[in-house]
Amino acid sequence: MTASADVLVPADRGETLEELVHIAEEHAKGGISNPVLGMILFIASEVMFFAGLFAAYFSLRANAPVWPPAGNAEFDLRAHIALPAVLTLMLILSSVTCQIGIWAIRRGDRKGLMRAFTITIVLGILFLAGQLYDYSQLGFGVNDGVFGSTFYTLTGFHGAHVFAGVLMLGVILYRGMAGQFSGRHHDAVEATSLYWHFVDVVWICLFTLLYILN
Amino acid sequence: MATTVLTPSTARARSGLYDWLTTTDHKKIGILYLASSFLFFLVGGILALLVRAELAQPGLQYMGESAYNQFFTMHASVMLFLFVIPMLAGFGNYVVPLMIGAPDMAFPRINALSFWLLPLAGVIMMLGFVLGGAAAEGWTSYSPLANSKYSPGVGTDLWIVGLILIGTSSILGGINFLVTIFKMRAPGMTMFRLPILVWTVLVTSVLVVLGTPVLTSALIMLFIDRNYGGAFFDPASGGSAVLWQNVFWFYSHPAVYIMILPAMGIVSEIIPVFSRKPLFGYKAFVFATAAIGALGFSVWAHHMFTTGSVYLPFFSFMTFLIAVPTGVKMFNWIATMWKGSIQFSSAMLFVLGFLTMFLIGGINGAFSASVPVDFAIHDTYWIVAHIHYVLFGGSVFAVFGGLFYWFPKMFGVKLNEGLGKLQFVIMFIGFNLTFFPMHELGVAGMPRRIADYSPMAGWNDLNLVATIGSILVGVSVLPFLWNVFVSLRSGERAGDDPWEGNTLEWATTSPPPPYNFDRLPEIRSERPVFDQRHGLPGPAAGH
Amino acid sequence: MIRPRTTLLVAVLFLAIATIYYALSQDAGGTTMLVALAIGMGLLSYTLALGSPKG
Repeated sequence: MTASADVLVPADRGETLEELVHIAEEHAKGGISNPVLGMILFIASEVMFFAGLFAAYFSLRANAPVWPPAGNAEFDLRAHIALPAVLTLMLILSSVTCQIGIWAIRRGDRKGLMRAFTITIVLGILFLAGQLYDYSQLGFGVNDGVFGSTFYTLTGFHGAHVFAGVLMLGVILYRGMAGQFSGRHHDAVEATSLYWHFVDVVWICLFTLLYILN
Repeated sequence: MATTVLTPSTARARSGLYDWLTTTDHKKIGILYLASSFLFFLVGGILALLVRAELAQPGLQYMGESAYNQFFTMHASVMLFLFVIPMLAGFGNYVVPLMIGAPDMAFPRINALSFWLLPLAGVIMMLGFVLGGAAAEGWTSYSPLANSKYSPGVGTDLWIVGLILIGTSSILGGINFLVTIFKMRAPGMTMFRLPILVWTVLVTSVLVVLGTPVLTSALIMLFIDRNYGGAFFDPASGGSAVLWQNVFWFYSHPAVYIMILPAMGIVSEIIPVFSRKPLFGYKAFVFATAAIGALGFSVWAHHMFTTGSVYLPFFSFMTFLIAVPTGVKMFNWIATMWKGSIQFSSAMLFVLGFLTMFLIGGINGAFSASVPVDFAIHDTYWIVAHIHYVLFGGSVFAVFGGLFYWFPKMFGVKLNEGLGKLQFVIMFIGFNLTFFPMHELGVAGMPRRIADYSPMAGWNDLNLVATIGSILVGVSVLPFLWNVFVSLRSGERAGDDPWEGNTLEWATTSPPPPYNFDRLPEIRSERPVFDQRHGLPGPAAGH
Repeated sequence: MIRPRTTLLVAVLFLAIATIYYALSQDAGGTTMLVALAIGMGLLSYTLALGSPKG
């Protein structure tokens, strides 16, 4: 099994083994690797998952007479924007460190990858902790009408995705410590970083929508 | 993998059961899919027979309304999510890597995960029956009926969790299919040489990957509404009941194409083989499949005409439009058979059953797309007739055709033709007896999802006929079970290529080795095995 | 094989459907999903075309 080419080759002309392997490798050249391609398709799927939640948000907001709904002064999240803004900066920073790790491993620098991903994980955990603290400070819950439902569902499921991303980064870190990944073989690292960037982009949309355009 | 062409590794000897539980071989996983889906087909069938038994006569004879509601809800949920979709995914799993000349799926372990989520989800959904009542608000689970006030039981929550797991399984499977089809084709197998079944699985996978997560989000919102006091679908707190229908049908309409496109693919593989002709209009077929996939995403609200909150002309027009590519396919199939030397094997008979029944289902579907007609027939038995003509008359007949067609490849033995024809005749008659009268019942105004009706409404005779037909359908499964049993014990040996097929799965042994191919023929067209058999157009000499 | 850039026409198609839909119905929820679908379809078809081996 050659790792770079999982394809079978029609073997009708009495080629040697080397020739067959060469044909298979040439055939698979120029493409995206299977794990990265699979991850991008998964991200496309995740776009649609958040689309369902965003559609609910827009639809309910468009039908509401006033937004945020009257009756709870705490709904005005712009008064509350300081901590989420800091968290946003942290998440953006974590995307940068994640990308620095990718550049490192592309050069074959595993130490650099480990260092950058460690910082990324710490930033991710800080984001989650900050968000939980933020929840405890808000004066409304998930059962406070459509505003509470949409706010906690959108941010909560984003948080769940951040948590999943932290776990994935942790697996990469563990595998890196076990001596895996090199300049040529690091598809899992690339795939994980794409996911992390996606989670970051979703948060920027959420932050803009929920806090700035509230 | 190129090296395995020359040095096939021998499979390690392990205990059979352990091997099946831990396998990552796409062929074994495919068979697991088919077997588990068939089991759920029997479960869903028994639920359907219970529903029909209650409806045979007016009055409540065998069960209360609450049990009846659970039975029809779980019948639909099991048949759609645990039978039809996984069954077609099972065919895809078994056949697609073989057809494109690949050694396995792109992600074999994720493939195993996709399968094992399904029995788990099935058990979770069924648990409702022993924990105080399964979901009972219909498979569409409309709010406010599905909220915690009107459906307080744990059954609905189990149903939601089960469905989310099935959705996850579908998404992972869809991604796996897409990467496999795009990355693992053998050299020479270009996109326009892919067998039509592979194309339909491709388009289906796009629908799955982009549609299913929307259902997941809808289910999560429903779960939050039911358990944590959310207000998404509760108008009293600013929510919207129609919102559920929007997000639900945004997935569930494309889902009907998920349930029919691979069936169309199976039909497109079987018809050319048993007509001894190439498929008529290959490219038209590919584009029609893609068009159905694209249009399928913009017709969701034709399920919501009577809500008064959707823009009727847009969805009505798009729905009529989608009949065009479907019609293209219908004419392609007919033109493929035209002047062919047709062999009426069991597989072909089931496919002919598909063509005729799906035609009826397509035509009565076009009626429903017309807004004024839909206002009259909405939520009546007409809709029940339509869905069963496309899903049973369409998908289920194609599934049985596919089972008869690929069984020799999977197990090395043919199914018995006599028993197959007996099964077809009973099933075809029973099916029409059951569902044709439902058109009449619908036009006569009988609403769906009721356990009892007035003896004065004039629906007695037709309901009795439908119940008798449903018993025939139930009976028709028995020859099939017996057929599988005797054929596996002492069936006629099939050989590598019993039907003189066109596509690559017939170029390997029956059953294929774990690595699929010792060697591949040259691929110069969409019918490489046909080319090889007839020495057209190229080499393949010297063996 | 189709060039990756050409597949972005799928996204354009769904953006067009979303625009027509919004113009006719002013429904925020449905439009959101159609626009997201354009993004998803574009991403999916572009990467599939890009990732596919030639031949």
